[in-house]
Amino acid sequence: MNKSICIVFNKAPYGSQSGRELLDIALMAAAFDMPITAIFIDQGVYQLLKGQEPDILHIKNHSATFKALPLYGIEEVYVEQQAMQQFKLDIHQLLEIDGLQQATTDGIRAKIAQSDFVLTL
Amino acid sequence: MATFSLLVTANPYSSQGQFSAIQFAKTLLEQGHQLMRVFFYADGVLVASRLHAPPADEINLTKAWAKLAIEKDIELVACVTAANKRGIVNAAEAERNALTGDNLDPAFAISGLGQLTEAMLESDRLITFG
Amino acid sequence: MKTLYIINQPQKSEEAQPYFAEHDGIVLIEDAVVLATRETKQPHGLKQYVLEEDLIARGLHKKVASDWEVVNYPQFVELTLQYDKSVSWL
Repeated sequence: MNKSICIVFNKAPYGSQSGRELLDIALMAAAFDMPITAIFIDQGVYQLLKGQEPDILHIKNHSATFKALPLYGIEEVYVEQQAMQQFKLDIHQLLEIDGLQQATTDGIRAKIAQSDFVLTL
Repeated sequence: MATFSLLVTANPYSSQGQFSAIQFAKTLLEQGHQLMRVFFYADGVLVASRLHAPPADEINLTKAWAKLAIEKDIELVACVTAANKRGIVNAAEAERNALTGDNLDPAFAISGLGQLTEAMLESDRLITFG
Repeated sequence: MKTLYIINQPQKSEEAQPYFAEHDGIVLIEDAVVLATRETKQPHGLKQYVLEEDLIARGLHKKVASDWEVVNYPQFVELTLQYDKSVSWL
């Protein structure tokens, strides 16, 4: 069994490139058949909001790639319930990603604990 | 003894992360552990330029990494996408992009993110300095 | 698996805290070492470390509260091996 990696998105998009850079790591790790868990917590849930138009800022829109995560074999994708509540978001406002699940903070803590590597940026 | 790799995303000179990473690398080597690879990503790639000219009484981070790499045979790898867009290029990339010069320090290599994944798979620990 | 949380900015400690699990540890480095000047009780009886060199650099090495254990760089390296993995909470 390959080592597993948990990628934690905790920042909103476009103020920094953190989301895009983590996404690139996730896709590469998937190509190496590492089991990957993608987790969206805190302001990182805004990475998944529908209707992003960063083109207006001449910044590349990476959000469509999140929808392709299952195509890359990344099927463990969790968004934190508490963050959704905090920012008054519901799941229908988020990108339609096959297998996207809401998780409690307890659930996310367990995912972090189980992984061989955990990355934030 | 354990095998480490480091992921360095800190902007050199703007923040402490590169200093911390060098100190951590030196320490683990002094303790007899292995350092397989240092992977530079995001703003961390900026340290791979050979054109930094800090004041004489300040550390040159590029030279500090290079010294470590040469003395201890450690791979210093900068992510190609992150590096090229930030103006860090080797001769081949300079030619491909019709740029007037290259600036990659010879102690560093430019390669893809696969080198980070490989470092994770082959090291006991990956420590990030951002 | 036991996780060592590496915190390098003061505000990141609070952000990471909900994810600390039993048997985890936290090590403060860089600007985050200022947090060690006050008493801090983490949940789950988390182990709390602070990096000596970063304290000394900031003139804070005599101001560390009693519930923080001061570690130097060699001990920091060993800590990353005592725990199953490290996560730098950026």
